[in-house]
Parts: sequence; structure tokens; C-alpha cells
Amino acid sequence: MALQDFRPMQERCSNCLNCRWVPFDKLKSERFGENCPSIAYNNFMTYSARGRFQLGQTILDGDADYTETITELVHDCMACGSCDVTCKVCRYNLEPLEHNIELKVDAVEKGKTLPAQAGIMAALKQEQTMIPGSKKAQRLDWAKGIQVKDLFKDKAEVAFYPGCKYSYDPKLQKVAQAALKLLIDAGADVGIMGNADACCGGRALQMGFRAEFTERAEANIKAFNTAGVKVIVTPCSDCYHALKRQYAKLGLAIEVLHTVEYLERLIEEGKLTFTKSVNMTVTYHDPCHLGRLGEPFVPWDGTEKKIMNQVHTWSPKRPRYNGAYGIYDAPRNVLAAIPGLRLVEMDRIREYAWCCGAGGGCSQTLPEYSAWTASERITEANTTGAEAMVTACPWCEANFMGAVDEHGKSIQVFDIIELVQQAL
Amino acid sequence: MALTAEIYQAFEDVVGQRNISQDKGVLESYRCITSQSSAHYGPFDHKTPLPQAVIMPGSTEEVQKIIKLCNKYKIQFKASTTFWSAMGFIGSENAIQLDMRRMKGIEIDEKNMIAVVEPYAIGAVVQVEAMKVGLNCNIPGVGCSSSVVASTAGWVGFGPTSISMGVAGENMLGAEWVLPDGEVLRTGSLGAGAGWFNGEGPGPSTRSVLRGFQGTTGTMGVCTKVAIRLHPWPGPTCIPTRGQTPAYKASLPDNFKCYTLCYPSWEAWAKGAAMLHEAEIVYLGHRQFNMFGRDIKAAMLRILNDPNGQLADLEPLLQDPELKKQNELMKMDIQVVLAGMTARDIAYKEKVLDRILELCGGWKSEMMLEKDMQDYVLLYLLRLGHKNLNYTLCGSYEGNYGLSSNVFVATAVIEEASELKDKWAKTHTTIADTGGDSDMGSLSIIGGGGAMGWEFFVNFDAYDKASIQGTNDFIDETQKWMTSKGLGVDMGRWNQDIRRKDGLNFTQEEHDAMYVNAAQPLVFAYQWKVREAVNPNHLGGSYYRTLTPSKIGLA
Repeated sequence: MALQDFRPMQERCSNCLNCRWVPFDKLKSERFGENCPSIAYNNFMTYSARGRFQLGQTILDGDADYTETITELVHDCMACGSCDVTCKVCRYNLEPLEHNIELKVDAVEKGKTLPAQAGIMAALKQEQTMIPGSKKAQRLDWAKGIQVKDLFKDKAEVAFYPGCKYSYDPKLQKVAQAALKLLIDAGADVGIMGNADACCGGRALQMGFRAEFTERAEANIKAFNTAGVKVIVTPCSDCYHALKRQYAKLGLAIEVLHTVEYLERLIEEGKLTFTKSVNMTVTYHDPCHLGRLGEPFVPWDGTEKKIMNQVHTWSPKRPRYNGAYGIYDAPRNVLAAIPGLRLVEMDRIREYAWCCGAGGGCSQTLPEYSAWTASERITEANTTGAEAMVTACPWCEANFMGAVDEHGKSIQVFDIIELVQQAL
Repeated sequence: MALTAEIYQAFEDVVGQRNISQDKGVLESYRCITSQSSAHYGPFDHKTPLPQAVIMPGSTEEVQKIIKLCNKYKIQFKASTTFWSAMGFIGSENAIQLDMRRMKGIEIDEKNMIAVVEPYAIGAVVQVEAMKVGLNCNIPGVGCSSSVVASTAGWVGFGPTSISMGVAGENMLGAEWVLPDGEVLRTGSLGAGAGWFNGEGPGPSTRSVLRGFQGTTGTMGVCTKVAIRLHPWPGPTCIPTRGQTPAYKASLPDNFKCYTLCYPSWEAWAKGAAMLHEAEIVYLGHRQFNMFGRDIKAAMLRILNDPNGQLADLEPLLQDPELKKQNELMKMDIQVVLAGMTARDIAYKEKVLDRILELCGGWKSEMMLEKDMQDYVLLYLLRLGHKNLNYTLCGSYEGNYGLSSNVFVATAVIEEASELKDKWAKTHTTIADTGGDSDMGSLSIIGGGGAMGWEFFVNFDAYDKASIQGTNDFIDETQKWMTSKGLGVDMGRWNQDIRRKDGLNFTQEEHDAMYVNAAQPLVFAYQWKVREAVNPNHLGGSYYRTLTPSKIGLA
């Protein structure tokens, strides 16, 4: 779709402003009631999904240009999808997240990008990663010393796909190593992609670089198909969304699981049992791309149809992505299985969780805003009295590490895999 | 005209660089295309004017400085927070828009059952904070996403809980008000330094001047704080919920009951409503789901209760004989919530309700007694969080046959109004055809009952210009019919005299021409004098209706 295809949605947005808040039925406090980091940080209405619908019309009508302010505003959306969930509490025919991303695509196609995006996209093109400074040649360094099949040369049922952040970030590589060892120890026939391992490109799409994403996706789909795997397991929520939702649109037909789903299966089947207690009170942060954006792609080919004169619907019935079927229970079930661990919940959880601040590439392109968003979440986590915050995404973990709350207090941050490892 | 660099800098000096913008793309998002929302508050198919700047003050002092600058440079202004409908937007090309988002404080005074709130405290957050201490607030029909200050100080503000809690004007206590000339007025007991507890004396009682019954929709300066009365909440400190989005449901204890009451005739319905007013047993009363239309409401309720439900399910569901039967049983219905302060209290209220139904020949809808349905409706009504289902069918609606009236007057012609709409939908395809009667509204527009607030929802497609125009034509048709019945001005035309069709304010000359022949011109001349006293530079816009006194021979 192009921006002009969103015109009906732009004009049918009713300015209800639900897109600024968690679903009202789930609201628990004034302090943690807002859902959209972009308008919460910048305040002007234009930063909300409603404002972006109106901005989109203005751009299409030629009434405003991509000034420096508007260019930053367009890219300021974290593509976290929280507006999408609350919009769809009441509306059945608007897609605010798709529209927000299309605005970014439109800006990118017109050369309106943020300064930091040039280096990120150059890294993707040259080194097949979205982490500038990292080299393709060092992509598999994290796996050194682990006996695992190279799917570039050998066959296996499962491809373990750690993603750029786990592959290159020295503080996080241990998580990828632990996850892979867990799969091997559980008897999985698993391998890694070897020389074919490369960035999923998901964050390129989140930033509006659709052509670059598509190029990367098509290359990866070819590699997975050549490897002949039946399942792809990833510990990265951004990769998970890209593979499960976006790659599926481009023809990937291989089952995609997040590590937490795989671990849940192993626990259910008795292949993973815990022997140690982890005496700790934790709170769980739902990564956007595993939670509300973790629903599977459902093919659809149809058109709008009006019934009863003016009620607009779709023929045939169109899949509805509203976060209802995201991955929320699997991580909580894994945590519940760890002896001694106590889970306390934050105000904003599951489909209405607050973003970590890394979404849409913002941790790399707009670091101050991204850090504020993380700080808001740390404040919320500390309000629960938890000793640590657990998550299931390297981008979330990295953004929370070192962040402090509104009182300057930090919190321990773990990937769920690290706690599983402690309990073995 | 654009603000000069000097003026812009003066505003920026007040709020800081981050809180002011004159970027065209930003400004464009502060225009209202009224057909995208409820259209009866403004011009039908035009945008409101482009503001010269958007400014976000963070305190009363900043608001005061901004308004003094507006007076100095003769720039119109309008403050808004949640921007629902054209009323919150400017009406002049020489105007700035104040976005009050940064002022969102809430103080709950549990002992005195008062909340003191700033403009961006919306109904949902005030309610959730009040419930933590066993209290609740009236959330008007506009829904919980709207500003409490706006609905309390600027508009009528009745809703489902008004039967037990009263309307905005009744709940408004002290207020802090930056007048259009930049002076700060503290009303009621606040003005006497006695705190927020009373909207009238011992301080100056200007409540009727600043808001009256209907509210002055932001034309009398900027209300920066208001105190509202809170009411008992006999429920948990946070409403427990279950279910998948969007079909969330409440899990409340047995002292809450939610029923859909049905009657065999409108005479019986009116008699039942009057008895409910008398009996004082209802916590909340609203005819809600009929807003979708008499022929489709049962199907819509099924869709809303199913996380996988969609509007595409409507056509097959409408063929279901059981749902057709339910629609027939709920033809003349209303939803009520009973809340017992004790077990004896709820038992008493249930007994009285059953007796009223017996006397009126009414019944409780069985479909709405299903556990999931009851809990869905209970949550919907208590939070008004799904209020924006108003827009679900088509994205836009207009209210017609809007009446704030005695129930016996309103119900006497409701079937005629229904036929009028049904006929229009059948012969013109511009509005949704959902069965004529799509009446919805509150059991009471005043605390304790006595009159109701009604409108028929006329759903139309804001993306379809023919649908917009056709709806406009239908409202004209409704007005002709209402005039012929002596029913006064239709809700869809309430504001046609305060903003021109091109989105701009009316001039004084245009207002003079309108009101000189009004039934009670003195009212408008009185308002002219009020305006001259507090708004000498006429910076508030034409939502405040005035008549130059000399036009009717007054000094």
C-alpha cells in the first residue's frame, strides 16, 4: 500500500483519542495511564496516531512539507503498536500502526530521514547488520566454543537465529549462548545459519526503509528454505515479529517460535526441569514485538464492502491484528515454573504494555527520547517492589540496562533465559 | 496572517521552545474536520481555521501571561484538551490554539469527597484515582476519554450516572479561571480562601455567568482548575477485569447488578422511567446499545462480546432467528445498574426494581442476563471506556431527534421519529439503515431524575461526501418535522448559530441579525454585557451568543 491508499482511514478516524491511552477498561492509575511514548514525550497532538492520520492527509493534500520538525516527528513513532490496540477496542476498520509506518516509508522515499539512519542503513547494506561498526566476519563469534551444526553445510530440523543484537553486543552474547545450549541439552536437532546468518531487516521496516527490508527478507527466506529447516527459534522479539508476521507475507512457510515458546514446550514435555531455586521477586516486561505484535500472519485477499448503506466492512472477513493473541502466557508460564521466583505485574502489561523505547530504531536515532521512554518503564517496574525486571528481547534488555527511574534508581535486568539458566 | 517574529518570541518566552509550534504540519493537526466526529457541534464539511501557533502552557501563571499577550496583540485564542468536536477549536484566522495537555494534576480529597483537577485530567483517570478511596465521579455521555474540566466548566455534562450523581453543573464546586482579559478569578468558596468545597458563596458566585446550564464552550477564558463533587463507590479499589481485547468484562461482587429493562409499549416505558426517578434506586441508567439501531443491536452485542467478532459478521448474524427475537424483546429497552451499599441495600433495590417492572408490565432481557454479556455491559457503562463505539459502524455519526425532555413528551412521538429515519434510510442510501429507532441517552439529565437526554444516532461515512451531504439533508428534514411538532431545535442544529459553515466565527452583525428576532432577545443582550465586562477585546469567539443591546433599544 502507498500513503494515498490510507486516505479512507485518515478521513474515518473519529478523533476519539483512545490512541493516547491504555484501554480504559484496563486503566489502573493516572501515573501509568498513557500508552504512546511519542505523544507522552512530545505533547503535541500531531505525535498521536490521530495526529498522524491528520498529518498524512495534509501531506497528501500538499498542505505541509517534511520540515525538519515533521521529519523527526514521523520517525519518532516507535512502531510499538500500542495505539493500534486501543484504537481497535472500538474501531474495526482503522490500522494506525500500518499508517504510521507508511508515513515513514513516504518520508524515506522522499529522502526525509534522520541523520543516524544513514549509518544504520549503510551497515545493513555492507555488513548485513543494523548495528553500525559491526562486521559480517564477526557475526558468529558469539557461538565460538559451542558444538553446533552449521546449516550452511549440515542439515537440522531447527534453526537457531539469535539476531544482530545478541550476536554482536558483548553484554548480551551470553544470552544467545545460553539459549543455544539449552536447546542442545534438551536434545533439539539444532543448527545455526553459518555464513548465511544475517540481519532480519525488521527494524529497517520499522524505520520506513521498506525496500531494504524486502531485499533482506527475500535473501533470508531463500537461505532458510535452502537449509531445509522445519522450525526457526529466535530469542529476539524484533526478529520474531519480522520472521513470523512480515516474512510470512513474503512467503516464508516455516514455523517460527520465540525461545520462550520453545522453553514452555520443553517444560510441558518434561524435557526441561529445574533443580535450583531463584529466590527473587521479578516483574515481566512484555516486548511489543512478542506481545501485541506477535500474532501470526493470516493471508487475506479482499476488498471493502459497504453493508446496510454505509457500514463499511470487508469481503471476505479480514484478519484483525489487535493484540488479543500475542505471546503473553508463554513467558509467564516459564517464570512460574522456576522454583522460588515470584512475579509481580506492572500496571501496563500484555497487549497494553509500555514500549521499552528501542522500537522503530529510536534507541539508535533519537537516544534521549528513547532513554526517557525506558526510564518511564523503570519507574513503573520499581513501583511494583520487584528486585528485577525480566524481558525476552535484547533490544528491550539493552535499553533498560543502565536506565534509571524518575528518582535516579535503577533495577536489575535479565533476559528470561538467564533466569532459566540460574534454575538449572 | 502569521504571527510576527516578535509576537512568537513573546509566547515562546512564556512556555519555552519545546511547548510552542508554528510548523504547518503540526498546526494542520489542530484543525477539526467536523464530519469526522459528531458533526452537530459545528460546520458539517469544512475544517476549522488554521491556528497561527499551538501553545502548551504548564501552569495557571503561564496561561495568564499568554492571555495578556493575546489582549496586547488582539489575537483570539481557544483552550482545549481532548478536542472532542469542533467546540474546542478556534474560529478565527487570527487566533492561537492552546493545548492544555501539560496541565494534568489530580488531587483527591477523600474526607470531603472532592477532586481538584486540571484540564488534561480525563474522566477515566479521575475515576480510577477516586475509586482507590471508595469514590466515583460522574462521567458524562462524551465518555471517559474527555477532559473533566471541559465537560464540567464548558458543556452540559450529563451521562449514565447523572441519575445518582447529577450533571456537570451540579457537580462543579470551586474553579480557578483565567478570564479573557487575563485576570484570574477564583469562584465560590475558593474565592473567599475557604477551599474548594462550594461553587457558590461565600466567595463570588459566578458559576452561572461562566458556564450556565449549557456551558460556554471555552469562550470565557481558560478554566485551569476545577473542583468536582465525588460520590460513593461501593466497589473494589480497582475494577477487576477479564476477557480478551476488545471484549473485556468486569468481575464485580454481587452488590452490583446490571439489567436491560424492556417494556411492551412506550407508555409503559415512560411510566417505568418515571418510577425509577421516584424510587431513587438506580446508580446508573442509560439507553445504550440501541444506538446501533433497533434491528441490529442484538447482533452487535454478540460481535462486541467476541474477541474475533467483526462487522463482517453482521450479515449472517442478522439472519439468526434467535437474535431477531431478542431484538423484538428489547425493542423498548434501557440499561440500568444497581449498586448496593450493603447486602440489604441491594436486596431492597432489586425488590423495588422487580415491583416497578411488574407494575409496568416490563421484563429483564434474558440475553442480557447471560453472565458474560452482563459483565461486558457493566464494565462498559461504569467506565464508559468503550464509549467510542459510537463511531464503530461508520466512523461518524450525527445526533437527530435530540431532546432533553420530560419522558412522556419524548416517548409520545418516538415511533414517528423512528419512522422518519427508517423511511429516509430506505429511500436515501446516505445513512446507515439499521431499523429506524437508534435512540440512546441518559435516564436523567439532572440529579435524581425528572427529564431525559436523548438523541438518535445517524451513522454516516465521513469518507463519502454524498453520505455527509445526505446526512445533513436528513437533519434538515428532522428539523422540519420537529418544528411541526413544536419540539424546538434538533440536537443536530444546536450549534448552527455559533459557528459558520465555513468554520469561522459569526460576526457581531450576523449575530445581531439572528437574535434581534429571538423569542427572548434580552438573554443575548445580557450576555453581551457580560462579555463586555470580562472580554473587552472579543477574543473568545462566537460560541458565546450576544446581541448588541441598542438593537433592541437598550443602552
